[in-house]
Amino acid sequence: MYQPPSLPEKWSQENNELVNKCKQQEAAGGAVSRDHRQSSLRWCSSEFHKLLRKIQGIPPHVDHSQLELAVVYNTCVCFTAQSQFSEAELLLKEATERVLQVTGNNADTSDPLVLWRAGLKSAGNTALHPHVLYLLCLQWALWLAKCQLENIGELQEQMSSLCEIVCDGVGDGSLSEAKGRLSKSPLLVMEPKRLTELLQICTSIAQGAEKLNEGRSSEALSVLQAASALPATRALVAYTHLLSGSCLAHMNRPQMALQCYKRALETDSRCVCALYRSMLIYRQLGNTQAEIQALRLLHSTLMLPPATEPVLGGIQPLSPSLLLSSQSLSRLLSVPSALSVLYSLALKCVLSGRVTEGVEHYLDLLAALHSEDQHAVDAEVSVLPRMPELYLEAGTALLFTRRPADCMAFCNEVISTTLELVPEKVVLEEPEEGIGGDARGLSVEGEDKVAMLLWAAAAYLVQGHCHAHLKDWKQAVTHYTRCINLLVKVHLKNRDFQPQIPAADVNVKHGKDLCTLQRMKGLSLAWRGISFTQMDQLREALRDLQLSLQAFPDYTGAGLWCGEVLWRLGRKHEAAACWEKTWSLTTQTSVEKLPLYLQDPQSGPLLDSVELRFRIQELGLT
Amino acid sequence: MEGRCAVETWAQFGFSGRSYKVKILCGFGTDVLICTGTEEIYVFSKRERKITTVLLLPAAVNDLVGNQDKQLIYVACRSGVYRVNLQFLLHRDQSSQADASSSPAELKISQECLVVGADEVSSLLLVGSVLLTLCQRDASWLLTLYKTPKQTASTSHKEFGSFHLPVASAVDCGAAESNRGPRKGSVLICIHSGDVEASSSSNASAESTVAQDHFHLEPLLFKLLFGVEAALAKSPVILCGLPDGRLCFLPLRLPGSRLRVLHSLEQPVCFVGASVVTETGHAQCLVAAGEQGRVALIKTDKAGSEGGSAVAAFTEGCVPGPVWCGCMDKSCFYYSTGADLLRLDLSEGSFARESKERGEETSGTTAAALQSPSSLNVCRVIALAEPACSTAAGDVQLLGVSARGQLQRICLPAGRVDEGSSKLPSTQVSRSVRDLLSAIGDVCERASVLKTVIKSKNQFLRLLNHAVSVSFLLMADTTTDLPIKEKPIRCHFETSWSRLLQKDSLSLVCFLHNSSPFVLERGWTLSITVSPLSYSSSPAGESSSTNFSFPFHDLRPGQTFEASLPIAAAGDASFPMTVSCSLIFSLSSLLGEEEVAASFAGLQSSCISLPLSTLTVDWLHALQLNSPTATHKMATVQPSSAAADSIQTFLSSRQLRCSGRTNRGGESAAKPEPEKYSASVWVSSEIVRDTLKPKKSSNLDAKESIRDPEDLCLSLLERLLSEDTEGVKMGCQGDKIALSTSVAHARGPNGAAMKLTVKEINVGEEESTDKEATIEVQIESSSLAAVCGLHHAVLRRIQTLLQSATEKAASIKNVQILGLRRALQQAEIQQSQISGAFGEVVSTVQRDRLLLSVYQELRRNPLLIV
Repeated sequence: MYQPPSLPEKWSQENNELVNKCKQQEAAGGAVSRDHRQSSLRWCSSEFHKLLRKIQGIPPHVDHSQLELAVVYNTCVCFTAQSQFSEAELLLKEATERVLQVTGNNADTSDPLVLWRAGLKSAGNTALHPHVLYLLCLQWALWLAKCQLENIGELQEQMSSLCEIVCDGVGDGSLSEAKGRLSKSPLLVMEPKRLTELLQICTSIAQGAEKLNEGRSSEALSVLQAASALPATRALVAYTHLLSGSCLAHMNRPQMALQCYKRALETDSRCVCALYRSMLIYRQLGNTQAEIQALRLLHSTLMLPPATEPVLGGIQPLSPSLLLSSQSLSRLLSVPSALSVLYSLALKCVLSGRVTEGVEHYLDLLAALHSEDQHAVDAEVSVLPRMPELYLEAGTALLFTRRPADCMAFCNEVISTTLELVPEKVVLEEPEEGIGGDARGLSVEGEDKVAMLLWAAAAYLVQGHCHAHLKDWKQAVTHYTRCINLLVKVHLKNRDFQPQIPAADVNVKHGKDLCTLQRMKGLSLAWRGISFTQMDQLREALRDLQLSLQAFPDYTGAGLWCGEVLWRLGRKHEAAACWEKTWSLTTQTSVEKLPLYLQDPQSGPLLDSVELRFRIQELGLT
Repeated sequence: MEGRCAVETWAQFGFSGRSYKVKILCGFGTDVLICTGTEEIYVFSKRERKITTVLLLPAAVNDLVGNQDKQLIYVACRSGVYRVNLQFLLHRDQSSQADASSSPAELKISQECLVVGADEVSSLLLVGSVLLTLCQRDASWLLTLYKTPKQTASTSHKEFGSFHLPVASAVDCGAAESNRGPRKGSVLICIHSGDVEASSSSNASAESTVAQDHFHLEPLLFKLLFGVEAALAKSPVILCGLPDGRLCFLPLRLPGSRLRVLHSLEQPVCFVGASVVTETGHAQCLVAAGEQGRVALIKTDKAGSEGGSAVAAFTEGCVPGPVWCGCMDKSCFYYSTGADLLRLDLSEGSFARESKERGEETSGTTAAALQSPSSLNVCRVIALAEPACSTAAGDVQLLGVSARGQLQRICLPAGRVDEGSSKLPSTQVSRSVRDLLSAIGDVCERASVLKTVIKSKNQFLRLLNHAVSVSFLLMADTTTDLPIKEKPIRCHFETSWSRLLQKDSLSLVCFLHNSSPFVLERGWTLSITVSPLSYSSSPAGESSSTNFSFPFHDLRPGQTFEASLPIAAAGDASFPMTVSCSLIFSLSSLLGEEEVAASFAGLQSSCISLPLSTLTVDWLHALQLNSPTATHKMATVQPSSAAADSIQTFLSSRQLRCSGRTNRGGESAAKPEPEKYSASVWVSSEIVRDTLKPKKSSNLDAKESIRDPEDLCLSLLERLLSEDTEGVKMGCQGDKIALSTSVAHARGPNGAAMKLTVKEINVGEEESTDKEATIEVQIESSSLAAVCGLHHAVLRRIQTLLQSATEKAASIKNVQILGLRRALQQAEIQQSQISGAFGEVVSTVQRDRLLLSVYQELRRNPLLIV
């Protein structure tokens, strides 16, 4: 059958026009919004697709196969860029089959691997070969985007030869040749060489992440270190360093990991993940100052306006983010939100004694949460504590910096919000295996009644501390009493419950609630007792302190003060015994795990252990 | 107007058939925007009462939201979301309309205005600077957040978040759905916690967005539904109602929040809103209505079942008919079923009323209230809106679009109360008006009566207050014993003789001087009682006292009240007499009313009597002095009416003349005629001089005159006759009697002539060398009564004279001895005479005579007063 020679030429011309238009739009694309880019891509892909339909409307022929494959390439790039992977894959399959038809081979298989091998083989050393290779690149990209790394592994040797040909031999050669026959060869949307480079490093990164995820850290490290030498954008190179660091961290070499993270940051200053990872290492190493420093840097980097952030991979239609969509990688690259970082920073500051700084961060955090720019964008489960807890922690931090009035304002806010919702009676059931926590956490009503009660009680407790700090003992007693009155509304429902061993490692929510409850009981009673002591109501003080020791035996403050009250009541031997027993308690519960507001207030009357020992000695002498 | 809605058609636009995508957007000044599900948006100007502009969009419009501040509207079309700057458009529109005003301008919205390129956005919402779109993508609902630029010029709308919710298995894809044509869209509204608007000013921009889809919910209900975290974060909550019946919510500003299901109506949600607005502007009830009439009311149940804390109470019920569209005002939910426009009153008041009637629990009655919406008789309404600019109080206006494509204003009858009264026929109305008027008259009358009663009570109290004050004043007088001149209320008297109808009569003039600060007014009476000093003289044994009373009207402070009382005609009075005057305050006269006095008979006697003073009017006061001119006058005047009296008078005067003459010559008038009686009083001249001296001290030559014994006698006589004692004074009878001698002739009140002589004598025993200078006052008359009376009077005068006398340095011893001796002698003689008189049996005449002679002896030889 005879085709008018004008037709392939016309098609070729059409293709070139389209490609030029595409490139123009991409060149201007930096300024245009994402939506605009998307719509232009959509338009391009539909146009390319129309053209392809026209070309494929006639049976395959060697004369115009080259053109056809180029149009397939262009169309597939556009489809892939729009994440229309299935359409692209279908086109690739059809194209391979047509190549086989042209070369006279027949493939009955539908397995893409077999098909590709056959296709490559049949194309052999024909003029079609480079174009088939280009299509293979696209197939590679599709597999990578769909995280089908095993397919890539299967075609490893073809891939590596492809790389050689495209990058070294054919790439340059064809380019010089192409200059000669510019009018004849159809234009391509994306240069195959660039695509191959991108694919190589992205594949390495994805493979490294996968291996790291599977625990094969050393293998991953070798892959990644090899990849770090590949030509690529700064961001991608930074990723290789970052992942190498993660591998080293996994291999328990924190200092080397830190070096890698540092290199990643040097390569790309916007690699916040490296900052985050190094912060984690500092935390692991217990280097608090460095951790705080890292947190601060991380926060300020996260707060930078995102508009200046360059699009990864420049103005290519196929972006690295499209190719690096594997779950394991995104998990490795995830960085908590700026608010979470700020919270960690604030908490860390307060815990490490930089209270004033910590308070500033807490206040910044609350201001950010209340600002109109704050929106519920984080789909990830937030590491931020619940809002009332945040208020309480901020209040406690304020009390640590001797700003009791501000602290009381925060507590009042919590009380006014929660107190209305606190029920008359709450049953705290024994944690049952598995279902307990989750079922209640997701109740439609939103809030857990127990949590509500505990928040209100904690707010009263902190207010009590405020009054104690101001030496207003009467008010302090009032607020501790309110706290106790709330706490006694909780009814424990269990079979064989020993309050003495609230297991510290219980992850179940109820276990945590129980622990909180007991600790709060102990604290409020003990501090009410201490307040009574200050008011010289020793009998009440003794009662409260003993109750406190019952509720929470580990609290040393209560033990010491109990002894003190006994001493003042003239029961000196009992006092001495009480002190000795308290000192013998070595089980210092991990303060770090407790919420800030359940910690022992840092102000208030203190007992000097040395002086107490001296007293015991005197008692022994007499 | 009786209980029906007034429907006014404002505009008609080319549109027919029913669409679910009709929406009315108010709040752009006087402009109302209407989208009807086609490509056109009509801009209706309330001021001009016509459609001014038609906006032509590239595709059919699904939803429309506006930002009042920036005069922007966002329009969701099939092909994407367009932003239209209304101000700019309308401005251009106005300028172009100056010439061609008849037909609405048509404006094409070009592709340039496209801000979000998402397909098939079914709902839009603006919260502050955030634009939210809701659309269905494959198997999930997608809520996307876009940041609107601060500057209206820039078009970049950055997407910064999206939330997915899987599409539930279609619950209602029945036959009903299919024949309803286009799929019903979703509903997006924004709920703010009540206390946020008060506290934070940052929400100002959210406030100003068209309030049609923004509601402020009571804080407690907000917390119950959306959690304390949203409340603490002061986050607005997006509520979306989906066609599958689910009601989902999303706290907008809470980190890590996700789209969650609040409730499911199990039929397409066509309206979500909040109502029952309190004074603070917080809605207490969240309302969601499904297409087939299922309505969910979400309220706070204060006494929740779970341990007493508040819980959110979900009440579901079905209202009759399909719900085509709805809107809310402060207390009611209005919805159209196509056949009728219905109103559901959700306010607490109506619930409470019904629950009282039925005695059921609240949730039950809420459900019951759902059963009885009131019909407003407007049909074929397919879109409703309440204009942001509400009219007069109580008057509800709705904007509606009818199925025939008319924009209607629906005026609802104002409140329930008016509804009841407006149903009355006019006759009843006029009757009730009359009733009301007469009732008003009654009330007015009663009020005036009460007013006068209060006034008189006040008057009464004022009078009583005066009375009590006056009483205290007078009581204080009696206790403090002031001299009479200084008393705040005092009275004094004057006697005067007057001649009337040929008869002399003595009258007593009483002067009451009120120098107290109070007015003696109605209710006060001056009461004067005149009674003889000696009761025995009255033969009948009854009291011969006479009462005079003079009621006051208004005796102001400083005024004097004068009253004249006739005491006696000449001859029939018994002197001396006691005059006691008192002020009487009578309650009955105070009340004044006769009926009061009659009804309280006992009250008449109830009065307060306050004694003012008690005086004695004696003979000296009642004397009629005979001056030579007077007698002469008398003599010349009287003969024409010559009566026995005048002759008697003449005779007696002659007699007196004679006796006077004889006495003048004789030294001691020792032996008068047998019928003449006499009595005398001796006073030491020294005392008299001393006592009279201060009286005359003002006069320089008084001392000289008093040196002379003759003058002394004269002045004493003068003093006796004219001096006022105890407030009684002899009135001057015409001209002042010029006493030239120390002898006065006078006529007593009984007509008897009498002579009063004052002279100096020396009393003492002849042999003794020291003779005391003594003044003798001698009374002589033919009438024994006159002598006695005058003697008594003279003694009283001298007594008072002496009481005021200063202590004098006289040698009393001699006189005392002298007097004693003689007194003893006389006493012995008289004793024997009296005993003799009683001892012998003689006739009573004899005995009387004897006693009289003894008496005379006593009188004639008085003790010397030193």
